[in-house]
Amino acid sequence: MRILVGTVFLLALAGSAVAQEADKIFPFDYRVVELENGFKAYLVNAGAPGQIAYVSMVRTGSRDEVEEGKTGFAHFFEHMMFRGTEKYPNFDSVTASMGAARNAFTSNDMTVYYEVAPSEYLATLVDLESDRFMNLSYAEPDFRTEAGAVLGEYQQGARSPFRYLSEAVRTTAFDAHTYRHTTIGFEADVRAMPEGYEYSINFHRRFYRPENVVLVLVGDFDYGEAERLITEHYSEWETGYQAPDIPVEPEQNRARRRTVEYPGRTLPVLSINYKGPAWSATDRTTVALEVLGQVAFGSTSDLYNELVVRDRKVQYLNAGFGLARDPSLVSITTMVMDPREVNTVEARIMQTVGRFKTDLVDEQVLADTKSNMKYDFLMGLETAQQIAFSMIGYVINTGSIETVEDYYRTLDAVTAEDVRTAAQQWLVDSGKTTVTMVQRRGR
Amino acid sequence: MMKKLALLPALLLVVGACEPAVEGTVTLREADSPFIAFDVWVKAGSQNDPAGKEGLAALTANLLSDGSTTQDSYDDIRAKLYPMAAGYGYDVDKEMTVFRGRIHRDNLEAYYELFRNSILSPAWSEADFERVKSQTMNFLERTRRYGRDEELSKELLFWMAYQGTPYVHPEEGYVQSVASITLDDVKQFYADYYLAGNVVVGIGGGYPRGFVQQVRADFDALPAGEVAQPPAPQPNMPDGVKVLIVEKDVDATAISLGFPTALKRGHEDFWPMVAMNSWFGEHRESFSHLYQVIRETRGMNYGDYSYIEAYPRGYTTQVPPTNVSRRSQLFEIWIRPISSTAPGNLHDRTLFATRAAWRELKLLVDNGMTEETLADTKQFLRNYALNWGQTISRRLGYAVDDTFYGMDPGYLREIRPALDRLTLDQVNAAIRRHLQVDNMWVVFITADAQAMKRKLLSGVATPITYAGEKPAELLAEDELIASFPIPVQEDDITIIGIEEVFEGN
Repeated sequence: MRILVGTVFLLALAGSAVAQEADKIFPFDYRVVELENGFKAYLVNAGAPGQIAYVSMVRTGSRDEVEEGKTGFAHFFEHMMFRGTEKYPNFDSVTASMGAARNAFTSNDMTVYYEVAPSEYLATLVDLESDRFMNLSYAEPDFRTEAGAVLGEYQQGARSPFRYLSEAVRTTAFDAHTYRHTTIGFEADVRAMPEGYEYSINFHRRFYRPENVVLVLVGDFDYGEAERLITEHYSEWETGYQAPDIPVEPEQNRARRRTVEYPGRTLPVLSINYKGPAWSATDRTTVALEVLGQVAFGSTSDLYNELVVRDRKVQYLNAGFGLARDPSLVSITTMVMDPREVNTVEARIMQTVGRFKTDLVDEQVLADTKSNMKYDFLMGLETAQQIAFSMIGYVINTGSIETVEDYYRTLDAVTAEDVRTAAQQWLVDSGKTTVTMVQRRGR
Repeated sequence: MMKKLALLPALLLVVGACEPAVEGTVTLREADSPFIAFDVWVKAGSQNDPAGKEGLAALTANLLSDGSTTQDSYDDIRAKLYPMAAGYGYDVDKEMTVFRGRIHRDNLEAYYELFRNSILSPAWSEADFERVKSQTMNFLERTRRYGRDEELSKELLFWMAYQGTPYVHPEEGYVQSVASITLDDVKQFYADYYLAGNVVVGIGGGYPRGFVQQVRADFDALPAGEVAQPPAPQPNMPDGVKVLIVEKDVDATAISLGFPTALKRGHEDFWPMVAMNSWFGEHRESFSHLYQVIRETRGMNYGDYSYIEAYPRGYTTQVPPTNVSRRSQLFEIWIRPISSTAPGNLHDRTLFATRAAWRELKLLVDNGMTEETLADTKQFLRNYALNWGQTISRRLGYAVDDTFYGMDPGYLREIRPALDRLTLDQVNAAIRRHLQVDNMWVVFITADAQAMKRKLLSGVATPITYAGEKPAELLAEDELIASFPIPVQEDDITIIGIEEVFEGN
């Protein structure tokens, strides 16, 4: 089934944007600015009048923390980016005077900085952002102060059951790759952060380089002016990105299992994980694996209807089949109502895994899933910020937004056989890690 | 190049519908939008929960939103929504229940039928009821107590201030009260409150002409009638300082403090206090003065903010919630968790941060804002507020709230001119009228509650140390903060264990 999303959007967005060709999913016209130093900016006129979203995507995250004792540093460094430069010693006061919404976030593969501001501040924003990416400078006492804020951030989520589970899954499933640790980092490393000033300066020098950063500017602005400003301000940025030597995860050759105790009250949580491939926009089996997650374990799957709705054996059933820049995990997570039924629930999940290795997925279910994935993308394109954020995955995984079209073309081509192949190839025991989180005894 | 519609950003414009107004509706037609948003407001909330059945309004909405209808089973509903990548949800606050939906206009017809049926034609399936009740019980018994201490501390602040009023209990109810709710209770609540005259239908975005009339006619199929609201609650102003300490095994302490105010939207001091609060504690913004004092300068935690209107689940969002309209509000300070395992004496950092916020409040009450801070705030907020109406769903949510408060022009349209008109005298007069520092409800969720109690009663200074060098000026100010008085008596401190929190009435 080929859904006419492109044409639909020609009509739907008439008047608010110039649509691209009818067979493209990204419904907006855009321009690309590429500088000699490798810096790339995508310019998209879309969203509400009078506003812009200025989103700088750094292709560095906790994945790049290869040194011992430095987990959590990419996130900590994100905080330091708000500590000013010689030209703008008080970053926050500049964005406050614009009334800009500004923030940043870090995850495995990325650090993303954004401002949403009135269009009249475009020139100021280009100057402010290019300046801090090129000329960040902060004193050691400020660095130490900020480390306190990061410890606070660590601690306010430290007792979250999801953090416990995530740490347990990662440390069990990975031996070498940096996906072994969470983005917030290990507690000991977070506590040692105040001593890492020199390392932080180096971090900026190694990763915050034009070849490793992509700007996505969405909103109401003049293309020519934006192109001129960006060229003027980012061209002087010196190259010098040093790709980290990320350890390759050795092939797992047998199933792993672990039980962890949560020091609060919880029903048992069962997490079944498989080593998956790296994200791809063009490999059909890889995209089919993401489809498989939805059809086998998603919120309209037979298993969901059975376990969550009909038999009410579990509180929820989540399929985490989104892939990452490097080979990572796909996960099935569920909270079991009766602690005595954990094994039964696990058996039902494993039977479902088995079924998708032998049976072909129903054609209508496959078509509905493709439709779901497309509308999910399109429903998220309302504001300038949302439109810019919708491009993050493509930029981080591949360095360009053009791959969004490849991805949805591949999705269109996925067949029921591809979904079965994905199950046979990736949902295998030798790549499996099962973690059960239970309430600590005595509670 | 896109069209420039107007100088005033459209995000603050409530685009007037060209069609005649339909009674019982709030409409925001934006004909070019590919999206249609719904915000169906039922004039009933947790304040309408019967005694002993606290949580009933929320469970009712939950069942409607996540249950079967007489037309479709819950499985079929989800299967039909799935290819549209759409869903709908509910929110229950003290005074209002809302059902929200959003759809791409390709799918409006099929979607609307499901959305409408969920509210108008529930199947009242026992299995659905058991499922949503069990999920709620899990939240009450486990997640609420072990998920986010900072959110729990805020809920406890409201629980203290609203004792003896219909606002007292959290919207989700207590463990024991929800355990006692039956499907018949839910049906009765629905029969009592889901009446044609008690429901306002909000619709926004690119819906077709005639659609509003169609929707309203559908909702008019509900039994006629309107329910008179109970009188607005009279919250309790504490006589002095009243402290609740929740004992829990934690590494960081959650802190909330506040007191009732007479302020709500439409009050003549509302906009002056919006400006005050933006400067003093803008939510999750470094512009917040409290943030500057506690986090930016001293690195004590992740953030520090203040509120003049209820702001549930603030940790999940940077924009104010819609449809939390209330006839009574607190002034509230949120100090994000303070480490109790960082170097120093146990609880000293917690009490230092609490004293720092309290002292800043006193400085504000004593000295007011200055021409400079007010000018900075106006400059900041007139643009920052643009972020609050970014989506059609949010603009519609604001419009529904405007109807609740009888605000015309509405919040988003009025905020800029209102800020432009403000004078320093107005702001400082409002501060003197609504803020004070002597009477305060205070909540801590912390380890070793008895030690905290002893330290509070002793009145000893609670100094902190830093990992790095600090200027002498700052250290001098720290001395004042560390010994800032928190006048509290033994009888004014209550300690409870985490397992007792919201267990029963």
